[in-house]
Amino acid sequence: MSNNTFGLVARFDSPAAVMHAAEEVRDAGYKHWDVITPFPIHGMDAAMGLRRSLVPRFTLVGGITGFTLGMLGIWYMNAFDYPLAVGGKPMFSPMFAFPVSYELTILLSAFGTIGGMFILNRLPMHYHPVLKYDKIERVTDDEFLIVVEARDPKFTPDGARKLFQKLGAKEISDLEN
Amino acid sequence: MSQAHSQSSGAPILHGAGVLREVEPAVLPRPKLVENDRSFAWITDKVMGIIEGPTPRWWWWSMAVAVFVASFTVMGLAYLVSTGTGTWGLANPVNWGWAIVNFVFWIGIGHAGTLISAILCLLRQKWRTSVNRAAEAMTIFAVVCAGLFPVFHTGRVWFALYPGFLFPFPNSNGIWPNFHSPLEWDVFAISTYGTVSALFWYVGLLPDLATARDRFFVAGRMMRAKIYGFFAMGWRGSNRHWSNYEMAYLLLAGLSTPLVLSVHTIVSFDFAVSLVPGWHTTIFPPYFVAGAIFSGFGMVLTLMLPLRSIYRMNDLITQYHIDCMCKITLATGTMVGYAYAMEFFIAWYSANPFEGFAFINRAFGHYAWAYWTMISCNVITPQLFWFRKVRENTALVWVLSIFVNVGMWFERFVITVTSLARDFLPSSWGYYSPTVVDIFTYFGTFGVFSVLFLLFVRFVPLMAVAEIKAVTPQADAHAGHGHGEAHH
Amino acid sequence: MSASHAATVSHAPAEQPRLVNPIVPLGVGAAGILLTLVGAFMASSPEATTRVGYSWLIGMTFWTGLSIGILLLVQIHHIFDAGWSTIIRRTHEHWLAVFFPLALLFAPLVVLVWMHPGFIWKWTDIAQVGGDILYTKKSGFLSRGAFTGFTIAFFGVWIWLSYRLRKASFAQDVDGSADHTRANRVTAAYGIPATALSLTFAAFYWLMSLEYHWFSTMYGVWFFASCIRGALALTTLLCIYLVSRGILAGIFRKAHLLNLGNLMLAFTVFWAYITFSQYFLIWNANIPEETFWYNIRETGNWWNVGLILIFGHFLLPFLFFLQHPLKKKNGSMIFICTWILAIILLDFFYNILPAIKVDGAHGDPVNFHVTPWDVTALVGIGGVCFWAFFNSYAKQRCIPVRDPRIVESLHLHE
Repeated sequence: MSNNTFGLVARFDSPAAVMHAAEEVRDAGYKHWDVITPFPIHGMDAAMGLRRSLVPRFTLVGGITGFTLGMLGIWYMNAFDYPLAVGGKPMFSPMFAFPVSYELTILLSAFGTIGGMFILNRLPMHYHPVLKYDKIERVTDDEFLIVVEARDPKFTPDGARKLFQKLGAKEISDLEN
Repeated sequence: MSQAHSQSSGAPILHGAGVLREVEPAVLPRPKLVENDRSFAWITDKVMGIIEGPTPRWWWWSMAVAVFVASFTVMGLAYLVSTGTGTWGLANPVNWGWAIVNFVFWIGIGHAGTLISAILCLLRQKWRTSVNRAAEAMTIFAVVCAGLFPVFHTGRVWFALYPGFLFPFPNSNGIWPNFHSPLEWDVFAISTYGTVSALFWYVGLLPDLATARDRFFVAGRMMRAKIYGFFAMGWRGSNRHWSNYEMAYLLLAGLSTPLVLSVHTIVSFDFAVSLVPGWHTTIFPPYFVAGAIFSGFGMVLTLMLPLRSIYRMNDLITQYHIDCMCKITLATGTMVGYAYAMEFFIAWYSANPFEGFAFINRAFGHYAWAYWTMISCNVITPQLFWFRKVRENTALVWVLSIFVNVGMWFERFVITVTSLARDFLPSSWGYYSPTVVDIFTYFGTFGVFSVLFLLFVRFVPLMAVAEIKAVTPQADAHAGHGHGEAHH
Repeated sequence: MSASHAATVSHAPAEQPRLVNPIVPLGVGAAGILLTLVGAFMASSPEATTRVGYSWLIGMTFWTGLSIGILLLVQIHHIFDAGWSTIIRRTHEHWLAVFFPLALLFAPLVVLVWMHPGFIWKWTDIAQVGGDILYTKKSGFLSRGAFTGFTIAFFGVWIWLSYRLRKASFAQDVDGSADHTRANRVTAAYGIPATALSLTFAAFYWLMSLEYHWFSTMYGVWFFASCIRGALALTTLLCIYLVSRGILAGIFRKAHLLNLGNLMLAFTVFWAYITFSQYFLIWNANIPEETFWYNIRETGNWWNVGLILIFGHFLLPFLFFLQHPLKKKNGSMIFICTWILAIILLDFFYNILPAIKVDGAHGDPVNFHVTPWDVTALVGIGGVCFWAFFNSYAKQRCIPVRDPRIVESLHLHE
């Protein structure tokens, strides 16, 4: 293997097989590895030993920002910068400011959620070694991969290959950077 | 079955963990979501085949018709902008006419898309996967059609984008928009709704765009592979990504649900914060939301049933899917009926002569024809969905779905026009009729909607392929392990 | 899918289930009712007697509201063909035994309408309100005959539906036929509209007509939201308690608790949405015939109660239920569910009590206050409900063992 190696990849043909394999890879103590699947497999996060996603924190920040922005903005615009008396209502009241602040809460929460998802996933990333895998079109269709990266401290080409063979991989191949 | 059960000799165990020994479920299989046990690859081929294959002839014909119809909106709007808003049929006392009726009509239609994608996601109704993509597309296009009316009712539309009129930015006099006004709330509600719906739709598309990218790449169609690849943003199906993706999707569903409620709530505020009899009633927010979902499901059925038969999607949109949609239509139609009844009852109970008159006038006045059209289409028509025979007759379901669309348009017409045409001062009473410009503009929006929807059918995966796969039995990784494993 | 399941279900460490003797809550209930009666007869003034009547109305509204919520949850379970909630449904079905006792306990209020017109609902005293045009216009609805007839009809609907739902479910335990599930779906299909209409008009008659000038089309929906929220909180408390008694041990698990928490989040938002919309539309339109209802609730200490409702009924539960870990802990869920039940009770006080005026007519309402008879009425009616509940529990299984979806529910994971 050259320095140009990204890692070793094994292909499986059923969700149950890849789930079982992922549990074994996790238990073998690898850190830099991944499972590639065409759809989310229920229970795979536990099989990989992933922690609960951090996306909600981005959502929360977005939501709080949106609500504050709405309330303060409306107070500033209609009560402070240019007081506007309409319909015998107070210049500012959280009542009539609520609908718009609420919408801004949702809007910025959604931005936070989607932005958070892209940031945590480090997307867009149009170039990635996995995308060069020669049967990638099967992996976005009906087959499943496990990739163990060469930078993992426990990685040895033979060790990973033996593990994959033991787990009944359909096909094992190298992946270049 | 019965022999197996008789093992529990003596007194049955009633409580505690021991009762688990008596568990022996009756047999009532859940309906299949994908018929004929189709494989993952079959699902991919079926859905992706639509955008990969040659453009069918019917698509060109439909497109031609749609463009022709859409041109009516272009004509109507061009005439409006060049002449002035006086070309609409608005005249004292009816200063809100078709424009707001059409606006509410189209916005309401959009709501079923959000309901299917968000609320049913939270309720874990797995049948949503076959229809959510198209329904969300419908939402976005409906918002586009709806948006035309408030933007163009300003007459000089460029002012809609000028600072200080709709969006907060001080204009040359230093005046900000008036946030006391429900119309200003609408600006925020609709633009938030459009934005979040589009983003939600796009996030849902990511995995399928990646599938399209890889399939075009293998087929050697590099131009397409690059375009779909650009929008796929390098999605590769990593489970580390799925983990964040699913969380984000769930959160978006959780955000879209209160959003969809708030949007039609704010639309209802346009009426309900006023003092006009028949408009000012506290049940308006949930009543408008129920009506919106009702009309949206009508439109989903109107759109999906023809597509199902054209693309032979009977294995993906099964009778069970149609049943579910019919039942939701029935439920929401009945809720709308409940709201009509409450309005009528409280108008009488309030002992307010103006309220009472407004409702008597609706049912027996000059617009009684519109009122009874509304009642028959919205309350009576959906009751037919109680019957299995009706739900299984696809052609009939399609016809009834059209009735739902018609009825909901009339609901908005009845609310808007009857109350204004007979206001507090009998001397100013009038009768509203639309002008040809009104009619052109509204008629054309069906073309605008169809053009957008046809483009969607042609270029975007019609169904959420990844999500459908995830609800098939073979996607269950625990299937081979036996049930004991599932106990954590 | 059938016979093999009995063997594959894994067993939690078997704790000996300890049932509650139904006599205990019955004794507590009887004591509460007797004390309330003592309170009514010992009262020093007619106003004080009326106040005990209001205590009874508040207690009845609270327990009947929760029970209607549970009736709706069972029917919603059936209409959705839900799976995960199957094991909870049986506990609901046991609770549904309460409607007949509740009907009997409501009877004194109906009798008082005839014997002491105007005792609680002012409009029942024709001598007082007969000259009020705002009363005569609606006297077709607000008449003592209609009140009595409708109240009997409401309880009739709830008793009938509960009877149907319980009977089919218990019968399925014995014969394992899927037909019972289908029968209950049919019951739910007509039962939900019937329950919706009956709870709406119950709210109009029992609560909204206390201030018979006032009206709101949203009021039925508000009552619905309160019922469902209360029912979910009560369910959670019951299930946690039954687990601790070993009755649902190993059956009701964290995943169910989490789902209940998520539902409570949804209905917290729904309640806020309904209540806000009602207030907001009345505030914004600013018509005296509507605003007076809220205006009198801004006098005295009702203003503070209103603020407690905003923060305690919505904000605190909302922020609580956004925290994923809190929804999986028994302790925190016991806290928040008790809190929600208490605040729903406060909301009923807020809706009911200002109907009592300081000068007995149309002036300012009496301040918010709690009397011992509020407590005894609440405990009395609640005790009887728990008697009916545990009585039913002693006779039938704690889960519907032969429900077609029972395995889905037992294997629910997060």
